[in-house]
Amino acid sequence: MNQKTVINKKTSNGVNRKSISIRMSGLGGQGVITAAHIIGGAAVLDGKFSTVNPFFGAEKRLAPAESYVRISGKNIYERGEIVYPDVIMVFHPHVITMGKSYTMPFYDGLKSNGIVIINAETELDFTAEDKRNLSKIKANVFYVPATSIALDVAKTELSVNMAMMGALVGVTKIVSMGDLKESLRERFGKKKFIASATTAALDDAMKSKFAKTEQLIEKNMDVVKKAVDMVKKTAI
Amino acid sequence: MNNKIYKISPGFEKIMPKDYRDLVNDGPFDKKLGVKDLGTFKELIEEHPLCAGCGLALSKRLILASLPSPENTVIVGTTGCSSLSFAQVAIHNIHSIFGNQNALATGLKRALEIRFPDKTKDVVAMGGDGAIGDIGLGMVMHSWFRGEKFTTIMFDNEAYANTGGQESGMSQKGAVLNMAPTGKKYDKLPLPEIARAAGCVYSAVVTPARPKRLEKMVRRAVLLARELGPTYIQIYCPCPTNYKFKPSESLKRTKDMEKSGAYQIKEYISPAAEELIKKFEEEK
Amino acid sequence: MADKAIQQKIVEPEELFFKAKREKQFITGSEAVKESIKRANVDMAISYPITPQSESMHLVGDIYAQGYVKDYYRGENELGVMSAVAGASMGGVRVFTATGGQGALRAFEMFPTWAGARLPIVCAFFCRGLNSPLTIQPDTIEIGLLLDTGMLVLHAETAQDLYDMILKSFIIAEEPDVHLPVAVFADGFFVTHTREIVEIAPEDIKLPPYNPYKAPVPVMDMETPPVRQMRDPFVMKSNYVSYACHASWQQEVRAAAERARKHINKYLGGLLETGNEDAEILIMASGTAVSQSRAAIIRAEAEGLKVGLVKLKSLRPFPKDEIKALAKGKKAVIVPEFNITGWLAREIKSVVEDNSKVIGAPRVYGGMTMPPKLILEEIRRCSK
Repeated sequence: MNQKTVINKKTSNGVNRKSISIRMSGLGGQGVITAAHIIGGAAVLDGKFSTVNPFFGAEKRLAPAESYVRISGKNIYERGEIVYPDVIMVFHPHVITMGKSYTMPFYDGLKSNGIVIINAETELDFTAEDKRNLSKIKANVFYVPATSIALDVAKTELSVNMAMMGALVGVTKIVSMGDLKESLRERFGKKKFIASATTAALDDAMKSKFAKTEQLIEKNMDVVKKAVDMVKKTAI
Repeated sequence: MNNKIYKISPGFEKIMPKDYRDLVNDGPFDKKLGVKDLGTFKELIEEHPLCAGCGLALSKRLILASLPSPENTVIVGTTGCSSLSFAQVAIHNIHSIFGNQNALATGLKRALEIRFPDKTKDVVAMGGDGAIGDIGLGMVMHSWFRGEKFTTIMFDNEAYANTGGQESGMSQKGAVLNMAPTGKKYDKLPLPEIARAAGCVYSAVVTPARPKRLEKMVRRAVLLARELGPTYIQIYCPCPTNYKFKPSESLKRTKDMEKSGAYQIKEYISPAAEELIKKFEEEK
Repeated sequence: MADKAIQQKIVEPEELFFKAKREKQFITGSEAVKESIKRANVDMAISYPITPQSESMHLVGDIYAQGYVKDYYRGENELGVMSAVAGASMGGVRVFTATGGQGALRAFEMFPTWAGARLPIVCAFFCRGLNSPLTIQPDTIEIGLLLDTGMLVLHAETAQDLYDMILKSFIIAEEPDVHLPVAVFADGFFVTHTREIVEIAPEDIKLPPYNPYKAPVPVMDMETPPVRQMRDPFVMKSNYVSYACHASWQQEVRAAAERARKHINKYLGGLLETGNEDAEILIMASGTAVSQSRAAIIRAEAEGLKVGLVKLKSLRPFPKDEIKALAKGKKAVIVPEFNITGWLAREIKSVVEDNSKVIGAPRVYGGMTMPPKLILEEIRRCSK
């Protein structure tokens, strides 16, 4: 995928944005919060600033889940949910088709010239109104079959978030492959990561799929690489 | 507490208050005194402002005379009639808020265990039936469930006496009191049985009409709490002011309550406690 | 009690706070709490998982299991926990707990009781909205309700603040001329659940232990002479001696909080922090509202608008003289807040001369973040 990074372009309000803000929407258990953590961690490894936070709700499997990543070369002050993102990542088609989202419509607040990355096997059938709105803000819409990549390469649906991260890196080059891999190692490696109870249970499930941590990391990086190749821009 | 701590330094005898001198010279610290010695030593409780004929006042006097080692005991009290007579007690005691005595005693006991790993510090939580049976019941029961090693003593006057005689959960069914103008509609809470079920290794009911029995129970409860876990004692404390009988009839009323079966003396002892009691009493 | 104890070197507070080489970690606010407690030489921590909940107290449980804390348990309810930490503190140990939102209100009666009993408890409050309607979202309304309990009140902006303020609070709280509880507030979710870079001291060093015999009130351990002595003084008799006793005791609690100023200045570098305070327009804020203001100021400066920032770190004691001096001659003082009541604007209005220039806006409540745009709009309006 040869698309150049879109994040340094001048936006409609004329501010040259060296910072990027990403909103990730998915279903509880898909790893949207873990993905945000790994991307933010990779940016920090690169010497950048980052803040990461989940949507503020009670954690439940398959309920809507949302997380936010801010990355910048400078100190980041703004806190809380990202109301005006540069990038929106949709981890499951139901976020759009069944409204399983805290933010409705899913592109609400997307900045002009922003990016949408959707996990779906085939293009979704947007409503006429959605199409009109997305064109109006010059949204760049990308698709990636993240679920099938995860199942093909890592043999587990738990790697969907890895495929989504791959698509993000492919489109934005926001972090390097090396830093992403190192961040993944920090997250699943030896040093005990502090996770909430439900996340810890999913971590154990993920680790149980692989004999060794290094194998987990390698396989997941394969997922990332494949997603980098497979993410495709579509006209609205 | 080492007796060096409370002994008066030479030269200071005259300026120390008489009350303090009496405590040092004739007090119960390090002397292993008991109820039978009352009248021969300076008691831990001074003049108190409780009503004439108050069963609680008598019970408290007996409890304080029964403590196995008053020099290493800290009391946690709570709001109610009993709290009015804590300031006059010459061992460290705490008043916090209404009904939280068992939660506070939990923190205190654990803190003393951290600070004095090689010493025994007894903690005794005392409160009325309102504090223990009603507003603080959740915290009381949870201290028992957790197996906290301190004793809980209830002064059961079967009403909220300090606030003017309102119904409590420990009031007898049918009792006409403030807030129960047509009589209490449900039975007295079976707290001794609840204590047993909630993990108290020792749960006992007594009245101040039986001082020796009361003393034995307090000693058992405190000693068992040190070794095994939570213990509970419930003491009937007749309240002439709110149950409207003559102060001089308090003891008679107590005996009548026992006789009629409205208040039954009992003792639940867990098998482990039974064994330990045998050991204590053999050693004695 | 924990079976094992971790070996950590005891160092002077100054060493731990200022001199020890710090390491950068990418952690959440809740993890920052854990890191703080790891180095605080805490004897006991007691937790309760009320909703709203953060991970902080279960993480403190994890470090108890590792041997950093001597005793820890999950209490039965909020009031029970706040009572138990009071008991532990009266028993002479260093204690920590945390709560927030509805949980804090459930336990409310204990907070003035802690202050009155002069207990140096450190409690973190992670602010959330209050019912009704039911909410667990970030909102600072509870701070306004807890300002006058007699506790010292600090408000953290970031996870870094939270780490530093908790650690330093133990030392400030235990100063013999203070000896009061410290409430360290941080905005729920915005700080507790946000992962950011926090610089922390090595984990093999810790604070000196608490010495209860330096306290201005007797520790309840029967190791001091048995005068007829009670915690706390029971002065509800109806006579003038009792009235005077209670009144002077309350004055002394407030005076102790005032005496904390010098320690807050020493350890936290002041009750407030300022930037561009010469500008005609000032923003005064605490907590996350400071962060949002910083973002708004960057945009205002890009538009050529000059605006200064005053970050309030200590709310009790309240930096009244500092605020009065800073506000003097200003065109406007903007006070953005994450609550509907505007308690901070009210506090500031009460000390500023000509308080009509204090703008109690923007206010965001209900749980949403405060887009810096809203603050920028106030700056623009005031700049006209």
